[in-house]
Amino acid sequence: MDWKAIARSATGMSHKKQQLPCQDYGDFSISHKGILGAVADGAGSAKHSDVGAKLTVKTALNELLQLRSYTWQLHWYAQPLSDQQARKIFANTLKKVVEALQKQAVSGGYSINDLACTLLVFLATPNWVAAMQIGDGFIVARLQEGEHQLLFPPDKGEFINETTFVTSANALNEMQVRVLPGQQKFICASTDGLERVAIRMSDWTPFPPFFQPLEEYMVETSHPEQEDEYIRNFLDSERLNAKTDDDKTLLLCFYDDSKVK
Amino acid sequence: MPVGLPEFVENPENRCPVLLLLDTSGSMAGEPIQELNRGIAAFKEDILKDTKASLSVEVAIITFGPVRLIQDFATIDQFTPPRLEASGKTPIGEAIDCALDRLEARKETYKANGIQYYRPWVFLITDGSPTDTCWPLAAQRVREDEAKRRLCFFAVGVKDADMNTLRQIAPHERPPVLLNGLDFRSLFVWLSTSMKRVSSDKIGVAVALPPVGWGQITS
Repeated sequence: MDWKAIARSATGMSHKKQQLPCQDYGDFSISHKGILGAVADGAGSAKHSDVGAKLTVKTALNELLQLRSYTWQLHWYAQPLSDQQARKIFANTLKKVVEALQKQAVSGGYSINDLACTLLVFLATPNWVAAMQIGDGFIVARLQEGEHQLLFPPDKGEFINETTFVTSANALNEMQVRVLPGQQKFICASTDGLERVAIRMSDWTPFPPFFQPLEEYMVETSHPEQEDEYIRNFLDSERLNAKTDDDKTLLLCFYDDSKVK
Repeated sequence: MPVGLPEFVENPENRCPVLLLLDTSGSMAGEPIQELNRGIAAFKEDILKDTKASLSVEVAIITFGPVRLIQDFATIDQFTPPRLEASGKTPIGEAIDCALDRLEARKETYKANGIQYYRPWVFLITDGSPTDTCWPLAAQRVREDEAKRRLCFFAVGVKDADMNTLRQIAPHERPPVLLNGLDFRSLFVWLSTSMKRVSSDKIGVAVALPPVGWGQITS
């Protein structure tokens, strides 16, 4: 079988009140045994961060797609990327993202900082996932027979209202990279709007009762992108909005090997 | 097949600490101290109007002199505005040291309990000039902490305050403000509005603060 995935974002209540657009963006690309995913959260203080988040995600995915035809396939079924290889690939992704943002800033006549956003990217095969994170948000993965694990410790400054953006001078240094080998089952990437309800912050562990139903939904649905009501309703639910007034994004991926002989 | 909904983990609220460092020396006696008391009460009232801020904002009060922690960090609902009385000297240096120590201790408590917090604010209000000799060292500490972005330090002078000295204490990027008359109320409503903005903001280091309508920035 193959990967199934869905990406949805919903505007936070605070942005609705201020008539601001949703500044989150998430997308993915599946090709046979591999999946690429990216989510970005536009900085609240940046004027065009909705544009920045979307451009960042699109650019990151495009760059990785091009890469795939060369290097990536070599590693397809076999060994996971080394940490060094992954870092090199993602450093290049970041470089291309920044170039695209610079170009956009010039054509829009504003500063690149007006496009500031976080970025989380992963590329996964059935046998490993390589991921990067700049700024806050989270990626949770579950291997077959494994528990949910948070791929990266949170990138918070000392204080909650500080984080790194792809446009920050120290973005490359602050970029976290990790390769997780093992049979992949479920991956959830999200912006920090859902952090408070999904992650226990005292020890930064994923809260299984948050992720289990989402995974179950991915098991049940054969075409998540068409059958998105469950996710949309959840992201817009009053129950969730009572807990967070921020934009929120879910990118869910599930590797279905049930029909493999 | 129906699928259940995600359940939420209970995390403690983010905290937004603000420490008031208040001059209660003899020269504040009479109307100034009364207006200061009213201002603090207005601060509480105004924060309470905002659900999120009232869950997040934590206030502590240190008065001088003598230097005393009269209110340790507490959320607004647990906070009873004090009735301050004026007497004594103006040991600003010692008071600042005490405030910064208390702040660091509070941060440790947050960290130990997995509580996330915003950059703390320290608000120094005085009508005099330091009567202790350690204030230059304390001022240096303020500036170092500010440079390391450990806190935001605000200095407010009242009436005949020694603005020259306050300028040496306050960080360069945030010069001291001379309060309009005894308009503490406007000052504290501004502080409350600022705290509401800070506590509702997520990312973005620069929170746009409301204009300072209650005083003059003297440079």
